[in-house]
Amino acid sequence: MTTISNEREFRAALDKLDATQQRLLAARFVTSVLPLCTDERISHAVAVAADSEASAATLAEALRTAKAATIDCHARCGAEGDWEAQAGYFVARAAIAALTPLGQLPGGSAWQAAMSCRMAQTSKSIVSGEETAGLESEQQYRMLSTYMNS
Amino acid sequence: MTGTELLIWIRGPALQIATVIFLLGVVVRIFEILVLGRKPDLAEPRGSAAAGGLRTIVTRMFADRGTLQRSTFTVVAGYIFHIGIFITLFFFAPHILLFHETLGVNWPSLPTQVIDATAVVTIIALLAVLVYRLANRVIRYLSRFQDYLVWLVTFLPILTGYLAFHRIGLAPQHLIATHIASVELLMVVFPFTKLMHAFTLFIARYYNGAIAGYKGVNS
Amino acid sequence: MTASLERGLNAFREQIDAPVASFFSSCVHCGMCAEACLFYTETGDPSYTPIHKLEPLRRVWQQEYTFWGRLAKAVGLSKPVTDEELAQWETLVYDSCTLCGRCSMVCPVGNDIAYMLRRMREGMAASGHAPEGLVGATRRAVTIGSPMGVKLPALQAQIGHTEKDIGMTIPVDVVGADYMLLLSSMEIMNFPEFIGAIARIFSKAGVSWTISSEAFEATNSGIQIGVSEIAAELVQRVVDAAEKLKVKNVISPECGHAYMAIRWEGPNLIGKPYNFKVVHILELLDDLRKQGRLKISGKETQRLTYHDPCQIARRGGVVDQPRHLLNMVAENFVEMPETGTMNWCCGAGGGVSSNERADGLRLSAFKRKKKQLDVVRPDALVSACSNCRIQLEDGLEENNMDMPVLSLTETIAEHLADD
Repeated sequence: MTTISNEREFRAALDKLDATQQRLLAARFVTSVLPLCTDERISHAVAVAADSEASAATLAEALRTAKAATIDCHARCGAEGDWEAQAGYFVARAAIAALTPLGQLPGGSAWQAAMSCRMAQTSKSIVSGEETAGLESEQQYRMLSTYMNS
Repeated sequence: MTGTELLIWIRGPALQIATVIFLLGVVVRIFEILVLGRKPDLAEPRGSAAAGGLRTIVTRMFADRGTLQRSTFTVVAGYIFHIGIFITLFFFAPHILLFHETLGVNWPSLPTQVIDATAVVTIIALLAVLVYRLANRVIRYLSRFQDYLVWLVTFLPILTGYLAFHRIGLAPQHLIATHIASVELLMVVFPFTKLMHAFTLFIARYYNGAIAGYKGVNS
Repeated sequence: MTASLERGLNAFREQIDAPVASFFSSCVHCGMCAEACLFYTETGDPSYTPIHKLEPLRRVWQQEYTFWGRLAKAVGLSKPVTDEELAQWETLVYDSCTLCGRCSMVCPVGNDIAYMLRRMREGMAASGHAPEGLVGATRRAVTIGSPMGVKLPALQAQIGHTEKDIGMTIPVDVVGADYMLLLSSMEIMNFPEFIGAIARIFSKAGVSWTISSEAFEATNSGIQIGVSEIAAELVQRVVDAAEKLKVKNVISPECGHAYMAIRWEGPNLIGKPYNFKVVHILELLDDLRKQGRLKISGKETQRLTYHDPCQIARRGGVVDQPRHLLNMVAENFVEMPETGTMNWCCGAGGGVSSNERADGLRLSAFKRKKKQLDVVRPDALVSACSNCRIQLEDGLEENNMDMPVLSLTETIAEHLADD
């Protein structure tokens, strides 16, 4: 029975996963923060990422859709920042990480997705004023533990 | 004024007047630039401004490869007519004689066949440059009356010099007079136009290199 | 003449110095600057010829600072610069120029056109002819402290989350630290993982550093819009914080114009030298590399190329350092065909990306970068400026090109050896 309880174990365990496993796990991470994003394209992209039978072509298509969604919602340099929208932006970035082939993103797709999900949560907390530091990471440790034990 | 009197005037007083206007004009223009000054740079330097400035005066003569590919005609034709003017002006025996008479300096000349061929090439290059100025979208867009005037006063001395050498069209002394008059026109127009670049580019390139060199960049 | 036009013309007059005069005197209308400018090469529009963008400034120079120009003006033979003309020139000065300075490298008579355009913006802004987006960003920078309205609590939240993620404290307001890190709003909002990357690198390399809660913003909107008083105030805030914390160095992060502002323009804006040094993050990282303080494990194997942010490389002088760093963490790093100080701009700097009106033009300009990438065919693109990153992502997406855009600092952090 494996329990992930800290960042070091988290990363080490993620590094051992293959491309498909990383994608499926990343999809779980993103699903957890999906409510923070209002763009339906991202929900669709995440659903594709979570599909273990998805073909390479379908994955590539979903990745393109996710990238298009990110462009639409990133904070423009010098524009008034909107942390609510930023939360959605980070969810989109997490979806991109989930769908990006392994090896392209330093640190791996699952880890990059996890980071972006945490940043989505942070953005939300800036708006709500709630103290949420560490909560999403712990949630992710639990998800990884569950995944590894299944 | 008779024909002969005109000739004498062109070779004498007119040349003196043109020279004075030229020299005075050039000095005033340069003074007008330098008198504006430049605030000292308070940032901590990474490299030497002076070294950069002097370096760029030389290196800016050469285009980098990408620029050469994109602006081939401008660079090549520009080189040809500038070098052509330089050779015909400074290495033609009668010109050297004139410099010797007025300034006391002397240096070897090039064979007249070489000068002659150079003049032809320069004339062709200048004509090509005019056509390009009219045909190229960007250059045409930028061009004003002054650009065409400067072209003309630069072209005439070489053309009239060539005609004078080959004795085409008029009596020899009239051809020489026309040639000298065209040079006087060039000298008089010079300080009021972009022809000043012949002097001011040293200042401009220096500043460019100095600004970049201060930051450690070779420009 | 309206008061605002008068202010604009006065600003022009103040900005004309010997270099400007030598440049205008030397221009021979050869058009080579156009071929060096991505806004011209990707649109074919001759009005984007760099020297043409300066025409109103040139006329003021001619009419005020040349003998014949003044004479012509006195007898009514010159064409005065009008408010309408400045209005017309706004898009040329702000939408179609990022101050990238490639034109300045190519001009055969040596004109530093970007130098002049930076100065021209002072007059444009003073006469009320600057783009809305930039005006808003500048106002926010002055009143809130960040052009994007990022306030301290937001930064603290990012810091708090980062600390939990990486399991180490981020030093804030530490007196006597060696280095004070600045952050651009773009990084805080779009790429906050940068903070964690820096913390991890500095921890491993044993760097003594801090962030100031009073002055953390690196972006200088005053430079971009061309209002030196505001630019000076923004610099002064950083200087005050650095002096209060008694730091030896201030680090400029992955943002192009921020480096230009704090490193090169700063002391001249506030009128006195700093009593601390300014380093770009890449300079510091390269120093650490040279001192053997960066232990790396594993290298990127994918084919990588590097986009030089203009204000850091060509206009800033940080050219070799990113290459040394990339060769340290990558097996397969290839240069773009025109690279280093002759690399091509991403198309979005100098205020262009904060200007919605310029969106179409900005994406057209990206095609120049696309052409470079089509030659290199990398798997991923690395850069060191958050604004470039967003523009590159934007442009790649628009052109259906599939490759990630990576931060050099973050990539290094990913390859730090565990001890």
